[in-house]
Amino acid sequence: MAPSAIDRKRKSVPAEHNETLESDVESEAEFGDGLLEGILSQSESEGSDEESNAEEDSDEEELELDALEALDSDEIPSEDSGSESEEPVGGLVKSNGTKTAVVALREKPLPDEEEDKPNYTITTDANGGERYVYEEIDPVYDSDDSDAPITTNTIGDIPLSFYDSYPHIGYDINGKKIMRPAKGEALDALLDSIDIPKGWTGLTDPATGKPLNLSQDELEILRRIQTNEMPEGGYDPYPATVEYFTGIEEIMPLSAAPEPKRRFLPSKHEAKRVMKIVRAIREGRIMPYRPPGERQEEEEETHYDIWQDEVPRPDHIMNIPAPKIAPPGYDLSYNPPPEYLPTKAEKQAWETADPEDREKEYLPTSYGSLRKVPGYEKFINERFERSLDLYLAPRVRKNRLNIDPASLLPKLPRPEELKPFPTVCSTLFRGHEGRVRSLAIDPSGVWLASGGDDGTVRVWELLTGRQIWSAKIGDDEGVNVVRWRPGRDAVILSAAAGEDVYLLVPPIVDPETDAASRELLDKGFGHATNATQALTANGARKEPVAKWTRPGSRLEDEGVLIKITLRTTVKVISWHRRGDFFSTVSPTAQKSAVAIHTLSKHLTQIPFRRLPGIAQTVQFHPSRPLFFVATQRTIRSYDLQKQELVKIIQPGARWISSFDIHPGGDNLIVGSYDRRLLWHDLDLSTRPYKTMRFHQKAIRAVKYHKGGFPLFADASDDGSLQIFHGKVVSDMMENAQIVPVKVLKGHRVKSNLGVLDIDWHPREPWCVSAGADGTCRLWC
Amino acid sequence: MGRIKKKGTAGQAKNFITRTQAVRKLQISLPDFRKLCIWKGIYPREPRSKKKASKSSSASTTFYYTKDIQYLLHEPLLQKFREQKTLEKKISKALGRGDAHDASRLERNASRPEKTGRTKYTLDHVIRERYPTFTDALRDLDDCLSMLFLFANLPSTDTVPAKMIARCERLCLEFEHYLIMSNSLRKSFLSIKGIYYQATIQGQDILWLVPYRFNQRVTGDVDFRIMGTFVEFYQTLLGFVNFRLYTSVGLVYPPKFDKNRDDQGAELGAFSLEGNGVGAIEQPKQITNGENSKPDPKLQAEIDKLMSQLNQPEKEAEHEPQTSQTLVEGDEEEQPTDTIDKFEPAAPGGDILLQPSYSATDPSTLFSNFTFFLSRETPRQPLEFILKAFGCKRIGWDAVLGDGAYTHNELDPSITHQVVDRPPIQVDPEAAEQIEDNQTAQKLTPGSRVPGRIYIQPQWIWDSVNDEELKRPDLYGPGAQLPPHLSPFVKKVRGQYDPSAPLNEQEREDEELEADSDMEEDISGDDDMAVQQPKLLTAIEVDATAEGMDIAGSEDDESEDADVVDNEDDDFGGFSDGFSDAEDEDEDETADSALQRQRELEAELTGVALEEKVANPKADAKKKAAKRAKEEDEELERAKMMMSRKKRKILEKMVYSNKKKDGEAEVLRAKRRKIEKSGKGAPRA
Repeated sequence: MAPSAIDRKRKSVPAEHNETLESDVESEAEFGDGLLEGILSQSESEGSDEESNAEEDSDEEELELDALEALDSDEIPSEDSGSESEEPVGGLVKSNGTKTAVVALREKPLPDEEEDKPNYTITTDANGGERYVYEEIDPVYDSDDSDAPITTNTIGDIPLSFYDSYPHIGYDINGKKIMRPAKGEALDALLDSIDIPKGWTGLTDPATGKPLNLSQDELEILRRIQTNEMPEGGYDPYPATVEYFTGIEEIMPLSAAPEPKRRFLPSKHEAKRVMKIVRAIREGRIMPYRPPGERQEEEEETHYDIWQDEVPRPDHIMNIPAPKIAPPGYDLSYNPPPEYLPTKAEKQAWETADPEDREKEYLPTSYGSLRKVPGYEKFINERFERSLDLYLAPRVRKNRLNIDPASLLPKLPRPEELKPFPTVCSTLFRGHEGRVRSLAIDPSGVWLASGGDDGTVRVWELLTGRQIWSAKIGDDEGVNVVRWRPGRDAVILSAAAGEDVYLLVPPIVDPETDAASRELLDKGFGHATNATQALTANGARKEPVAKWTRPGSRLEDEGVLIKITLRTTVKVISWHRRGDFFSTVSPTAQKSAVAIHTLSKHLTQIPFRRLPGIAQTVQFHPSRPLFFVATQRTIRSYDLQKQELVKIIQPGARWISSFDIHPGGDNLIVGSYDRRLLWHDLDLSTRPYKTMRFHQKAIRAVKYHKGGFPLFADASDDGSLQIFHGKVVSDMMENAQIVPVKVLKGHRVKSNLGVLDIDWHPREPWCVSAGADGTCRLWC
Repeated sequence: MGRIKKKGTAGQAKNFITRTQAVRKLQISLPDFRKLCIWKGIYPREPRSKKKASKSSSASTTFYYTKDIQYLLHEPLLQKFREQKTLEKKISKALGRGDAHDASRLERNASRPEKTGRTKYTLDHVIRERYPTFTDALRDLDDCLSMLFLFANLPSTDTVPAKMIARCERLCLEFEHYLIMSNSLRKSFLSIKGIYYQATIQGQDILWLVPYRFNQRVTGDVDFRIMGTFVEFYQTLLGFVNFRLYTSVGLVYPPKFDKNRDDQGAELGAFSLEGNGVGAIEQPKQITNGENSKPDPKLQAEIDKLMSQLNQPEKEAEHEPQTSQTLVEGDEEEQPTDTIDKFEPAAPGGDILLQPSYSATDPSTLFSNFTFFLSRETPRQPLEFILKAFGCKRIGWDAVLGDGAYTHNELDPSITHQVVDRPPIQVDPEAAEQIEDNQTAQKLTPGSRVPGRIYIQPQWIWDSVNDEELKRPDLYGPGAQLPPHLSPFVKKVRGQYDPSAPLNEQEREDEELEADSDMEEDISGDDDMAVQQPKLLTAIEVDATAEGMDIAGSEDDESEDADVVDNEDDDFGGFSDGFSDAEDEDEDETADSALQRQRELEAELTGVALEEKVANPKADAKKKAAKRAKEEDEELERAKMMMSRKKRKILEKMVYSNKKKDGEAEVLRAKRRKIEKSGKGAPRA
């Protein structure tokens, strides 16, 4: 509605004022809300047609009211009353922004006075004709910008103090000096003599440099602003409501419903709420008024002896107190000993390292004196890390073994106390071409028999290493195993090459023993022919498992007396302690893998119809009628008399290579291709008592010393022998004591094979080993 | 057959609960849970088997002890948290409605500790639960003090309100006052991080770190909400601890705080302690030997001299440690004393019990006779605290360092010690005169000193405190190169490097030899890998071909050895294996002698007289050491073979860590040897 009002005004304004006034009006339109209505009415009131203006004003007022209601603004309603009463200073009151503009407007040499005169003079020109000389038109440059105050002083935005030493204080728009208003002692004296005029403030108008006078009304406004009241006087913040519906009975009521009773009764609900507050005030729960700010000061924490009746709590096992921060060391000093300072390389390493990888989070530095020490950069970070650790880090009780590591080591007897055991290689036996597969020392301990890939069996003098005798028994196959028959009454050597097992009497002994041996071998020929062969299902005579024959005259001359031909390659020969039985193993055979031969009867039997796995090796128990058969994974012991399975020993090895039974009969060592050496106590368990893994390669052979020394040895593909001290105590409660004593190295590894067989001297603490490098060695 | 046990109902599965489960069980938000954990001292655990403890298939990371969480269920703070949460909801609702007045009214009820430094709840009961006895609280005071001292020195930001800082500062100063009052500060250490202090209160050692007074660098990765939670708890704790400590020495807590003086930078001086009238303020006395609490050492020395002149034997008896016998015999010492008697074994064979240590000096009297003046450039706060804690009553400082000084006048005649930390300025005497002409007599010229007082650097105070005796001040004079400042907290462990002990005491016997040889090698530019053998090996090769001697090389070259063996004929008698230690050594010697003979032969041929071979004791020693080491190695290897795998792992770990430590010590020793040889480095006190 405001624009329409403005339009109306525009009509009533005299034409001469058009330019100035219109600009004003437009600027007001920018302000909107008719803030400057008073100004217009003022200027108009000076105009000629006052009555019409008054009418217009009243009209305006009405319209304005509507506009104001619509705008819902607080400031405007007071304007009407104010505009009348504060006419003289109206311009100042209305708005600060336009105040000066209004003042300027009023101070202008009013065009109204001159408006009847024509704005030109008539002179004669050069030709004598009339010439209208127009007055200069005042362009009113600032018409577009009513915001900016009309500058009377053109010095710009510089302080007036710059002109202190001049008589003038600036220049007007025409470049004329604006002289300084009277000031100074004379003036002061004058002022003192006269009393201060009303509204004198002592302030200087910054724009004009003249004293700023404020009227009583203006002062009143200032007071109201200071006291947080409405600046406009007489404004009623709580006007009486204008009732839309009055108590006057309407002729045509909007509703026919009778007035409800509740309109006349006081509200119970309100009464309740009021009473609640009243009660709260009475009880002091609600303070009627409390200035803000008091709230914060009120609470001061109270201290008391919280541990007055302290009772120690027993420590709980799940309560783990936080570890304390480690106290600072020497290198954290601001002036550490020079040896703690990092070298250039260390410093560089520290700087290039990732912060997480650094061993210390700081670099020891020497500052020389306290004043040079800077603040520690990571102080807050470290404190923060510590806080995180305190509540976020899982705590575990860790037992730190604060002991000398030497105390963990088992107390082993010194090797000197465990002597004798073989330490050095004393004899080297050379002669075999290719690997030496097997060797054995005869029961008397004088000779060493060996068999190798070259197919020969050789007998050596043990102490000197001299070869005494040799025989080539395998034509194209190597000798897999050689074993002496136990017992001193005869000297019989058994050897296996390919499928054949040979029994030999080397011509190395005195004739009587030689004859006795030959007789022992020949004795069984009669038995073999007399024996009745088992019949097969179809009645045909079953083919014998092995054929006991003479090997032929060439070999017989050399001392090879009997040849036993089996079906598959024989790898292992094992003699019974009495020397009448021996057992052979041919792992590739299906059923007849294990065969037991009786020397006195030239008889071969197959004790097992079926074996659970590939038979590896067999052993007779040294004192009892037990027979041990090793398959890949397990060792089974059978009672030969009762013909039943006694025990299954499970060493846990993947592939057993060999095993040996302690001469006492209750312990067992097992060597395996998966590098393990296992000690079994047969009374204790079927599982190994000790597992030793000291070899880098497979273990080929293991052997106990049978002549009274508590020694055992193993031979491995890594070319070394390991000698152990293994003492078995007769006391049942005590376990065997096993001590490694010596590693013997000497054999060379050839095509991944090192030491292939090992044997102990029957009486002395010496052992012999057969190497893949074609040599045998005696260690003593 | 018994009932089949259901899985996950007992043992680890039941004892541990993941964090998510815990939060869900308590029905609180994660930040609230964090707060609770911090205050109640609940921390995650590491179950022995994570797999058994977690019920889900995915790997959980954090486990809590179930009993801990159950215990949290009854926490009164939980209710407070919930109330706060509903209040927050109301506020946000009011704001959503645009009801600013209502929101502000509700906001006033909300506790905003991060803004106001105050909370609606108290943590008193938590303190009581976590620390059932006062000793427990003291034991946990390390982190508390470090944290509060840090916060007392922080700038205030929107996360760290100024009120919180002020409160931290007050608590810390109150605690310092107690330490001064009770003389319980023991040690202090100037580190690059800050100043470490150690106090002993009721037998508990408390160690904390105070940063130097610089603006702390605050990085973005620090969450001040977490720190604030800790600080909230620690403030309450230290408040109660202070109360207990103050009342235990008969003081009123809180002490009177003068805000005006504090504004003038008086710090410690802003507090005034007063007795609570229950008991006289008695200073807890240290255990002393009786003799040490004498007033003046000089006076005592003179008296001693006199006494010694008068009667020699009597004096000796007096200065002997007070055994029970002397107590019985001594006439003048009949009256009972409250000092502890020293027990000495009368007959050999008994166990030795630990006795409380007798400190050489009473900490309360170390500086009690001196008047200190702190120069402008010295850090006033730590110096004031440490001096006061060790009995100094009169400390003056320059006026710029703040209020509360004994004197601000540098020329005060009572000053005995002046702490300076500036390089000495060489002043031209003429210029100095001129200056003197210009100035009033009150001011001191920059280079000049007041006669009759001792000028020291601050480190003198710290070193004196840590060694419990006054150090020689001339070592610590202005501008002097200071002796190294050593940490008093390092416990001397055998085998570890100790910078205060002379080098030759802690070296291994052969270390110097090795170091020397290393040095020589460095000079000659040799590679130090094969120190012992290279020359001998070449000799062996020469000899083996020339004479066919029976020799084997060292253990290092087996293949070569085997080759030598192979090349030999069947010459059994002279064969030796080269794996037995005794023989090995012989081997070396034979090689040596062979070499010697070869040299002799060559000398004969050329006709030059062979110079006598100088017996090299160093080489001998080295050889012997090598032999011994080898023997030990073999023994160790043998023993290791017989250990179970688990034990062997443990042993290897221990050996590794020990070796590492030894290596570090060795590096330090080597560095020191180098420094000592070069002859530079500060003198050691």
